[in-house]
Amino acid sequence: MTISNVSRRDFLKTAGLATSGLVISVALPMNALAEKGIMKESAEEINAFIQIADNGDTVIYCGRCEMGQGISTALPSAVADEMEADWQRVTVKQGDADEKYGPQATGGSASIRVMFQPMREAGATAKAMLIAAAAKVWKTSPDNCFAQAHFVINKTNQQKLGYGELASIAANMPVPEKPTLKKKADFKYIGTALSRHDQDEVVVGKRIYGVDTKLPGLKYAAIIHCPVLGGALKSLDKTAALKMKGVSDVVEIPRFAIPFGSIGGVAVVADNSWTAQQAVKQLKIEWSLGENAIYDTKEYKQQLVKNVEKPATLASERGDIEKAFSTAKHKMSATYTGGHLSHAPMEPNASVVWVQKDSCEVWASTQSPADIQKVLGQYLERDPKDIIVHVAMAGGAFGRKFKCDYVHEAAVISQKTGSPIQLTWTREEDMRTGYYHSINAQHIEASMDENGNVTGWLHRAAFPSISTLFDPSLVRTPANSLDDITNHLFGVENCRVESGDAKAHTRIGWYRAVYAIFYGFAFSTFADELAYKAGKDSLSFVNQLLDNNKNKEQTAQVKRAKDILAIAANKSGWKNRDKLPEGQGIGLAVHYSFQSFVAMAVHVEVNGDDIKVLNVDCAIDCGQVLNLDGATAQMEGAVVMGMSLALSTEITFRGGAVVNSNFHDYPVMRITDMPNVRVHMPDSDESPTGLGEPGVAPFAPALSNAVFAASGKRYRDLPFKPMSV
Amino acid sequence: MTQSIIINGKKHAIDVDGNMPLLWFLRDQLELTGTKFGCGSGLCGACTVHVNGQAIRSCITPVSTLVGKKITTIEGLSEKGDHPLQRAWLNNNVPQCGYCQAGQIMNAASLLSVNAAPSSEEIDTAMQGNICRCGTYQRIKKAIVEAADTLSKEV
Repeated sequence: MTISNVSRRDFLKTAGLATSGLVISVALPMNALAEKGIMKESAEEINAFIQIADNGDTVIYCGRCEMGQGISTALPSAVADEMEADWQRVTVKQGDADEKYGPQATGGSASIRVMFQPMREAGATAKAMLIAAAAKVWKTSPDNCFAQAHFVINKTNQQKLGYGELASIAANMPVPEKPTLKKKADFKYIGTALSRHDQDEVVVGKRIYGVDTKLPGLKYAAIIHCPVLGGALKSLDKTAALKMKGVSDVVEIPRFAIPFGSIGGVAVVADNSWTAQQAVKQLKIEWSLGENAIYDTKEYKQQLVKNVEKPATLASERGDIEKAFSTAKHKMSATYTGGHLSHAPMEPNASVVWVQKDSCEVWASTQSPADIQKVLGQYLERDPKDIIVHVAMAGGAFGRKFKCDYVHEAAVISQKTGSPIQLTWTREEDMRTGYYHSINAQHIEASMDENGNVTGWLHRAAFPSISTLFDPSLVRTPANSLDDITNHLFGVENCRVESGDAKAHTRIGWYRAVYAIFYGFAFSTFADELAYKAGKDSLSFVNQLLDNNKNKEQTAQVKRAKDILAIAANKSGWKNRDKLPEGQGIGLAVHYSFQSFVAMAVHVEVNGDDIKVLNVDCAIDCGQVLNLDGATAQMEGAVVMGMSLALSTEITFRGGAVVNSNFHDYPVMRITDMPNVRVHMPDSDESPTGLGEPGVAPFAPALSNAVFAASGKRYRDLPFKPMSV
Repeated sequence: MTQSIIINGKKHAIDVDGNMPLLWFLRDQLELTGTKFGCGSGLCGACTVHVNGQAIRSCITPVSTLVGKKITTIEGLSEKGDHPLQRAWLNNNVPQCGYCQAGQIMNAASLLSVNAAPSSEEIDTAMQGNICRCGTYQRIKKAIVEAADTLSKEV
């Protein structure tokens, strides 16, 4: 990592930064990122800026995308803490798409894991330079000075100089090679419950999201997509639409068959969004649907189950599973399934794009501005660097806004009409034109000895993988997508993992928690089933299963998983579960994903088919917690999303097209179902990891286990109570 | 004569197709973007505003039905952004992405105007039409209780 003083560099102007005062940049070497699996190339680029103006106003730029996960508060607060900035004097700004920020693609719960340390070092660097500047003014040693709340203070005479007064002088100070970082006990913001920097704007309706962008001369567009992946427009009669008052254009958008390009559709351009939406309904369209018109998720899921209940393609193997099975005291098998999910963030896909002869400018809610540059660069045949992307606050994303097909479409419309275009998808189009969480089936067979030790584990999984976005010819899940099964923390000496056939008939994409949703479900539910079979209580059974892990590389992880599970169990009253009223039960699950450990204890009341979730105790170990409030919020949200997918949400395809259309037939959780969620975070000195994704995985299995404890009924299919659509 | 509508105390001529839902009149004509588009069918509550003090879904309410009526949006709920609900929302750090929160606050304000001390069940019933996909329901509920408490002390 390199930290530079860039106060006078020319590119600051192009980056839109003022050039007076002190500007510190942080460069995280790309090869360090490559080691972490984030980037491939080796180079050094700038990830963050701190700018202190002559009046002391401080701007900290956040290069990572904000979608509600709180990163634009968390990372700048780490900078502010180390530089002894007064948070009240700090403004956080979102960085536009610029490779100088390094990887801005925001997903995989990677932001804090990758950026925490560099951000701290940037802040510490700024502080050291401000102190050096004050020492110079006072003709004293830097050791005789300290920084506090936007001031440097002279220890001898208690004189004070503000950061604003010092900024320009500090800009001439050498950049310290290795700035000293603060001790944990001295943190002011790190590890506290700092409020989001922008929430006062939210509560008065002033926070601007991607969908809120306004430009002079803006035209509004609505779109209808080809309902089936791979289909195309057969005929279009646009007469009636074009006759409508306020409608100016109808634009055909052919499929752009690259991963984040349009699936293909027809758009209408009008004076306002509503007119455009009404005009879309007047289009007379015939589609030729293509080969995916056969897709029917009910039949497909049944086929997936068949594919995992028979021998499949070997992905990995250790030990001798046949021997383990033939000498078993107990044998047990179960099959688990899950349906497609739509992210359905509250802000539908929307962006503004203005393509002109010499420029292309984008305003969008996005998780991956560099991918917008890449796709638009390829479509417009321009250098990706010439595509200007202003990263807007996303009104939820959950993985959907990583894939900015909607921005590509707005670019097509703008290019063809010459106007700046705001394209807003309707909720129906959002629901029907997604990058869906994989439909899936898993079959597990296990053997146990007389002491309840699991001796063999056969795990077959079949799901159309995200890899099919990049290689549509794949007919089954590639072995590397099954690594989380092979490397699961449960200690089983003899293990065989197989991949069942699963061709994709729709676009598959990352959805909050990704494969951990169904891996977590299968592992933790099956463990509970095994415990019951072995006549053991679920907690001690899982602990034994973890203790049996003899892989030394996983020893530390096993301990953390056990510790965090113990906290969730203790807080839930697990020990006294026998005293619960009739019809109530507690279920446990622990899952390690995205380098964080999350355990949940779900307390339910079951009455016939009615499942009421009363309490959820979440225990998390994400190492050192950067923002207590943000971490808590992520877990509360994970419970809600976990509950939606466990109980009710599923995307259904018939005839190749999505049947669901809006929130009436994609019933996400509402306030009436909200349980009491308690979040427990033990103090930790481990390096911090992320929390956006890992909280979702343990909820569904803990719920399945709780319902079983309460009623004896076992749910193995997600969602438990699908709505028929 | 052009018909008009009063939004946050200001009179605006209805110079659009009367069938246009209020949501789009606010967002695209007046560029008052605090009121959000979520579903277009009255299913999610993101577009909630007040008509004569009562919560309605602006995405399914044609502007022609609102002639002469007084509309309040999130931008006009309080002069200084200090309605007890807005303060409670900040105290409880309610927003995550924040997109649905204008609708949540407007809906809650309508509830408190007719029921100053709602029970837990009454809050659930009143707020069940407002979806938050980030999952901030627990804090929403806490904030409503807190605001109701503040209001009772102010009276």
